[in-house]
Amino acid sequence: MSPTDSPAASSQPATDIRVALAGNPNCGKTSLFNALTGARQHVANYPGVTVERRTGRCEIDEFSLNVIDLPGTYSLSSFSPDERVAQDELTDAPDVVVVVADSTQLERNLVLLAQIMQTGANPVLCLNMSDEAQAAGQRIDLALMEKLLGFPVVETVGHRAQGVADLKRAIARAAGHPAGPSRLVLGETMDSAVASIRRLLPSQEHAIFRSDWMATRLLVGDGEYGPRVAAMPGGQAALKEAERQRTRIEARTHADIAVFVTERYFGFVDGLLREVRTQDSRVDARQMTDHIDAVLVHRLLGLPIFALVMYAIFWLTFKVGEVPMNWIDSGVQFLSGRLAAFWPAGSPSLLRSLLVDGVVGGVGGVIVFLPNIVLLFLGLAFLEDTGYMARAAFLTDRLMHRFGLHGKSFIPMLSGFGCSVPGILATRTLENPRDRIVTMLVLPLMSCGARLTIWMLLIPAFFPPAWRAPMLWFIYAVGIAMALLLALLLRKTLLRGEDAPFVMELPPYRLPTLRSVLLKMTERASLYLRKAGTTILGISILLWAATSFPKPSHYVVDAQIASGRITVSATAGTGDGRTRLSEQDVAGRRKAEDLEHSVAGRIGHALEPAFRPLGFDWKILTAMIGAFAAKEIFVAQMGIVYSIADADKGSEGLRAILARDYSPLVGLSMMIFLLIGTPCMATVVVTRRESGKWGYALLQLGGLTGIAYGLSLLVYQVGRLLM
Amino acid sequence: MSQAPSTAVDGEISSSLEDYLETIYLLVQEQGFARVKDVARAREVKAASVSIALRKLAELDLVRYERREYIALTPEGEKAGRRVFSRHRLLTRFFEEVLSMPAEAASEQACAMEHSLTDEAMVRMVRFFEFLGACPSVIESFRQCPMVQDRKTTAHVRMPQWCSVCAKKKEFQSMSLADIKPGKSAVVTKIDAVGALRQRLLDMGVLPETTIDIERVGLGGDPFWVRCQGARLALRRSEANSILVRTPE
Repeated sequence: MSPTDSPAASSQPATDIRVALAGNPNCGKTSLFNALTGARQHVANYPGVTVERRTGRCEIDEFSLNVIDLPGTYSLSSFSPDERVAQDELTDAPDVVVVVADSTQLERNLVLLAQIMQTGANPVLCLNMSDEAQAAGQRIDLALMEKLLGFPVVETVGHRAQGVADLKRAIARAAGHPAGPSRLVLGETMDSAVASIRRLLPSQEHAIFRSDWMATRLLVGDGEYGPRVAAMPGGQAALKEAERQRTRIEARTHADIAVFVTERYFGFVDGLLREVRTQDSRVDARQMTDHIDAVLVHRLLGLPIFALVMYAIFWLTFKVGEVPMNWIDSGVQFLSGRLAAFWPAGSPSLLRSLLVDGVVGGVGGVIVFLPNIVLLFLGLAFLEDTGYMARAAFLTDRLMHRFGLHGKSFIPMLSGFGCSVPGILATRTLENPRDRIVTMLVLPLMSCGARLTIWMLLIPAFFPPAWRAPMLWFIYAVGIAMALLLALLLRKTLLRGEDAPFVMELPPYRLPTLRSVLLKMTERASLYLRKAGTTILGISILLWAATSFPKPSHYVVDAQIASGRITVSATAGTGDGRTRLSEQDVAGRRKAEDLEHSVAGRIGHALEPAFRPLGFDWKILTAMIGAFAAKEIFVAQMGIVYSIADADKGSEGLRAILARDYSPLVGLSMMIFLLIGTPCMATVVVTRRESGKWGYALLQLGGLTGIAYGLSLLVYQVGRLLM
Repeated sequence: MSQAPSTAVDGEISSSLEDYLETIYLLVQEQGFARVKDVARAREVKAASVSIALRKLAELDLVRYERREYIALTPEGEKAGRRVFSRHRLLTRFFEEVLSMPAEAASEQACAMEHSLTDEAMVRMVRFFEFLGACPSVIESFRQCPMVQDRKTTAHVRMPQWCSVCAKKKEFQSMSLADIKPGKSAVVTKIDAVGALRQRLLDMGVLPETTIDIERVGLGGDPFWVRCQGARLALRRSEANSILVRTPE
């Protein structure tokens, strides 16, 4: 194992070393992880929880390091999923635990080190962001610190990859010569209490269950580990001793046990720093940050500036994003054109239809969101890495908290106006699972960009010009109001419970590195493509099949031509009891018949009785089924149903027909249903991915559709009574 | 009675028997003797009922009683009678002197409760009265409190936010971080939060005797932006409420 054993390291198989990276949030752990592992990393979710699991590899000497980046935590208690995941990984006994600490915040950052020393781990301490601390005047005697702690201590600057080689060597050193017994001293009272509890801990496979740390958890009455130890044979004795020690300490110190233990940790760090810090910071490293905050979170300017920042990000996402979206769109068009050209024009080939409309169309539907996702996450990664995200949460929390949401729900929900998919992906910034799920579930109520094309079709069709702007405003307002009310309702019913602590650190502003921003962005994009893409593709092929099959054996329009009731000519029109149709019109009619005859059309017909009280007929319903693939498809599907060739945005012909066939009340009912009901399949699939449960995705789909039904019913029925 | 109080004798004696014992004990104390008709008069019952009760008490070896003779308490009986009576006196005092109830109502209430008062509760109550003897100002300020003088029978009266007598003291004891104005500092005295919030606060170094500076407060008074252990934290007003503080010297 030790480096001296294998002089010819290169020829020998590398020794696998499992390394865990632990540290507080905002300590620069992830950039250090990136610097260590480069592009050789893998991001996945822990099973059952939406906590990211990052792993990567690198080599040093004869060791092959298998690095896992633990979620950032302030301590090893077990109140949040992040903390539980970190604990579970530590329970798994990695060979080396690198504790990353923000050098400018050592007083608080080293508390985690003390806890990790208690677990009996083999630690390496990494003082990160040492450049900032040194600039402020802090000097640390590393050699002395190593001597006092008994394990390697290195200084690094993660985002500039400085000291990474030192860190790797330190890891190799620690792996070769594991640290001896922990030299942690937490004071006589604490140490003796911990020792007397630990003696009684039942023997277990995992060393951590016999550690000082476990004894400490029992001492403070941990709700997670207490019952687990109690269930082990002999565990009751340890628990009883823990209770006895707790009573003794509380009586002696007149302090609550959790406060006492935390003070001991802080006391240890204080003592250690007093020894090794040869020079303390002379200038406040936060001066710059304070100056910036004086403007960015100014009482009056804070919100307007936030609005501007968000505007800039949305402009980037949706306006600049339009350009690559158009490329993708024309790429898809080009591809389907080339593909279609393999078959003779007008060929009814099934394979052609499957490839062109199903596969290429489906893939196109997936990747067309990619520019939005990439750009939005570019913007959000920038906000996160600079530290502005925490300020945004500070500015918006008061409003959001009224509806049971968190300040950090604001940006994802705002993103929902562009597209629900990146909005839902953005809920990852929320640490608390409950806040995240609520935000995700109501997010589709924010009227997305795709739905704007629907409003552009329907509003002018049914409402006079003076009403159009207020109607558009009204629809957006209904969406927002419903989202907030529903969030409140969910927090009071299904996702009830204590608020997760809001208490949040406001890190100093830092310039993000291109590398970390790009990494975050590509991570999101590839997660979306890999995980969601496959499911979305599957559903779009299903939808294609539903709108294409079965084909009618003959077309009514052909029969009408044969019987002479319709003539085909260059100019369309009517006269002497005959209808003259152009070649294009006839093709349109065939398509309409195809759709009516298909599964979707049949479902539309079958659903008609249930939706008649809402004012919908089978045509609207069939178009809505198609719109599940993507909301904007509603317009195209309505065009097909009414055999309007080239029914695109703002098609006057389609509007005229809609105005002729339906009353404005049906229009309103339709708009409300499309706003609230049936989020598109991409939304449902991404909700499933991000919440980790189909249950939530189906709740979103079913719940929103149910509410939409009720509300449309109410609007239509009350409206009819009034008119 | 399902939950009979622990008594000097083995076995359980009913509260009505305890009442008889108490009456006999009192009669003997006052006039030196007790006859059936005295007991009947004092308890407002028929002589026949008294005889039945006496027979039961005699079976329990608490009284010696022969027909048409004076009733005598055994040493055990005297002990039990004294015990019930001292409880009665203690409870009456509590309702009358502490809770300011009229004498008669206080005595009635005491009668109802004297049988179920455990030894431990009694010891505590004795201590309480001893404490009142040593610190009479406590009960004085309680009696002066306008809330206590309210004679309404509903349980919930509006508690005054500040009692004029104790205003100063209370402010000192229960000021929370949420009461501190932006630009001012405070020293943590106690963390009243529980669960995840408590842990998070401790992790952030919000500990007793640490100083917290309020740097700014969000629009509308929420959330708070504070400086603690060199770091900046944002916390909601409701969370700041659970951090008790005092003003720094």
